Amino acid sequence: MTREENVQKQLAGRFPEVSATIRIARERRIFVDVPEKRFIEVLDYVREELGFPILCLIIGLDEGERFGIIYVLSSSDGNIVTLKRHVPRESPVIQSVYDRLPNSEIYERELADLFGITVTGLPEGPRYPLPDDWPAGQYPLRKDWKPEMLGSKEAAINE
Amino acid sequence: MAQSLFNIIVFPGFLFLCLAGVCAEYFDRIFHARMQNRKGPPWFQPVADFIKLSAKEDIIPEEADSFMFRAMPVVAVAATVTSFLYIPLWGSQALFSFEGDVIVVLYLLTIPTMTFFLAGWYSTSLYASVGAVRTITQLFAYEVPLFMAVLAPALLADSWSLSGIAAYYRAHPLYWVFNLPGLAVSLVILLGKLEKVPFDIPEAETEIVGGVFTEYAGRYLAFFRMTIDIEMVVASSLVAAVFLPFGLGFGSVVGFILYLLKVTAVIAAICLLRTIFARLRIDQMVDFCWKYIAPAALLQLLVNIVLKGVLSQ
Amino acid sequence: MSRVTIPLGPQHPALKEPANFSITVAGEKILSTSSRLGYNHRGMEKACEERTYIQDMYLLERICGICSHSHSTAFVQTVEEIAGLDVPRRALYIRTLIGELERIHSHLLWLGVAGHEIGFDTLLMYSWRDREVVMDLLALLCGNRVNYGINTIGGVRRDITAEQIAGALRDMDILEERTRYYIDIATSEPSFIARLAGVGYISREDAVRLQAVGPTGRGSNVAIDIRATDPYAAYGEVDFKVITDSHCDVYGRAVVRLLELMESYRIVRQVLKEMPDGPVTVKAPRKIPAGEAVSRVEAPRGEDVHYVKGNGSDKPERVRVRASTMANIQAVNKMMENNNLADVPIIIAAIDPCFSCTDRCVRVIGGKREDLGWRDLRRHGISWYRKHWGIDFGELNRKLHSLRGER
Repeated sequence: MTREENVQKQLAGRFPEVSATIRIARERRIFVDVPEKRFIEVLDYVREELGFPILCLIIGLDEGERFGIIYVLSSSDGNIVTLKRHVPRESPVIQSVYDRLPNSEIYERELADLFGITVTGLPEGPRYPLPDDWPAGQYPLRKDWKPEMLGSKEAAINE
Repeated sequence: MAQSLFNIIVFPGFLFLCLAGVCAEYFDRIFHARMQNRKGPPWFQPVADFIKLSAKEDIIPEEADSFMFRAMPVVAVAATVTSFLYIPLWGSQALFSFEGDVIVVLYLLTIPTMTFFLAGWYSTSLYASVGAVRTITQLFAYEVPLFMAVLAPALLADSWSLSGIAAYYRAHPLYWVFNLPGLAVSLVILLGKLEKVPFDIPEAETEIVGGVFTEYAGRYLAFFRMTIDIEMVVASSLVAAVFLPFGLGFGSVVGFILYLLKVTAVIAAICLLRTIFARLRIDQMVDFCWKYIAPAALLQLLVNIVLKGVLSQ
Repeated sequence: MSRVTIPLGPQHPALKEPANFSITVAGEKILSTSSRLGYNHRGMEKACEERTYIQDMYLLERICGICSHSHSTAFVQTVEEIAGLDVPRRALYIRTLIGELERIHSHLLWLGVAGHEIGFDTLLMYSWRDREVVMDLLALLCGNRVNYGINTIGGVRRDITAEQIAGALRDMDILEERTRYYIDIATSEPSFIARLAGVGYISREDAVRLQAVGPTGRGSNVAIDIRATDPYAAYGEVDFKVITDSHCDVYGRAVVRLLELMESYRIVRQVLKEMPDGPVTVKAPRKIPAGEAVSRVEAPRGEDVHYVKGNGSDKPERVRVRASTMANIQAVNKMMENNNLADVPIIIAAIDPCFSCTDRCVRVIGGKREDLGWRDLRRHGISWYRKHWGIDFGELNRKLHSLRGER
């Protein structure tokens, strides 16, 4: 049995509700959709017990009704598990994983700035990557955001 | 009176030193460039830099002490030029001399460093303040070894004037060889005095922007740069007079050529050192000066004391 | 001595790109630091959603001047994976070749920058002069010195000829000899070692916890190299060592980069000798099917991660880029603890930072802009130099080629 199938079997055994969504895209790539309720549990399990301690990246996705958030976890032998969770567009709130994975800070700040997802539990710090005087309520990576939505002041800076 | 004015303003005073400083800077830059495998600047570059800087706007920070900020460059130039009048260039007689002028010259050469400190301090900018503190820290590290190294030949010559030292070594042509360790010590210290790599810590560009000169622009900066150029000539002349006093009795033409060669050799040695080293950290610099340079200077002093005893018998 | 907070950046001689570090010092000792990024945020991910895949590839290649090939490779790999394209082996070998040449030029560049940060400008001049050899080689192979434009979806755009292979092998010999000299300097020059050893210490545990990547991690003995652990292009078929060092400081990172150069020469030679025959590209569909893929590439600075989600049209639904500096920047504040103010530039430089990579690309919002095409720009440049300086580029080019022939 390959490493990927092993991961699939263990994960499905521990969390039956995700078993249908595990997809081995190619060698070393495993995609999993995780229900929001059990997300942290699954994350910890994959991280600690399946041996994927490295957080490569957190990706935000605008899927219309809801936001998808993908956590890309990697093992030291080159395998990648991506865990995807969903939050509703009206109340996009997630708990930070900063206490588990200290390098998540910058990716979570990006989620907050570019998607308007509220991340609770982050330490105090500067915003990233938008400027400090960026108008509130403008989240550039949402699909319904257009550059024209910026006021004339911001547009003038770019001329 | 007219003679004195000529001496102070034209030769060997201000104008001559400006010219010499410009030539020294050019030589230093082109030699540095060639050793780094670069083409280097054209011959008029130092003059062009001076003219360009003089033409720029003078900006004085609001927070800075305006009087000190403007006075410091002038004081620096004046002190360096004055010290040059006591250094014998060829032959054994300087323009002015009195017993004890070697101490005066050393102190006059400390004044530019002090003005750098004050200039940085009164700029009140963060980078300048850090640079100012570094300048003074560095001064404390190299000043004592420099005094010891320069006073050792004086001790042997039994004279506290530069002209007296030159006369002694003219009378005893090969005795300057005893002072070679002192020459090495003073070359290293010149790097610190002129703030060149590896001791360009006070103006380390990549660390504290421009160090003490961060806030300076225009004419004032041009003056400071001119000071450093002139200081390079004066300090090299001092080293040449104290440590390389040979070939003094051949008249003024040969003497002048020989003097130029000596100064060029000193500048080339400094340039070589600054090409082959990385900048040290301030703590490493202080350690280095007290651990290696100061003992070496002390050794030179001891050697000369013993020599004096042996030779006078 | 009282505490002072010294701002470093966004504009500072030590930084080649904008970032801000606030450094609180007592005298020369660093008490604490904090960083602010984002000065170069150019909205590139949003821009990608509005362009076709081919346009995106060129856009993403311009994320960074130094690791441009890494970014475009990572991107085309994701698209090829979604589209299910089978890239010809010769194309994979050429990608590997350019990737390694890029690493060589980047590491030599880093060596020079590191020298400059510690006031050792001679090292800068020397290593950048030698870097010209590999830059010329890249220009010979790709027609460009910086953005190579060699990748395309489904393969590479240019084949390489037997003469080019011979020229490249010759250049490798020159570079290898020069690199030996730099390794000698790095291990014997006392002022160089004094400024690097013990500076910017980060233990293996901290490097793992903060997930430092690339030479920064490997300098702390974290043996992760995407080329070996998650092989892409032709890396699965070539033999090379993953270089690690246990110094855990800036010196360790310098050693890793220098030794990696030697490994890169080995890889380039293997790739050139074993280059398979065949086509260099397969036809890629204009519309890429729905799907998602994650791809990693070992850029000179560490791993680049690209994520692409397709929706069946000719434009991607989402493109996400993570450059290596973004992973490493979080370790920098840790590295600065207990160091001197004078060490800050070299600590920052030691991760080989590229904040433009981290922040990503440009967008003109509103306003009018006169667009000059590449052709117009080139023509304008040539005529400007001829008019103002009397420089004839045709003549220069001929000289360059004859020099090349002589060597």
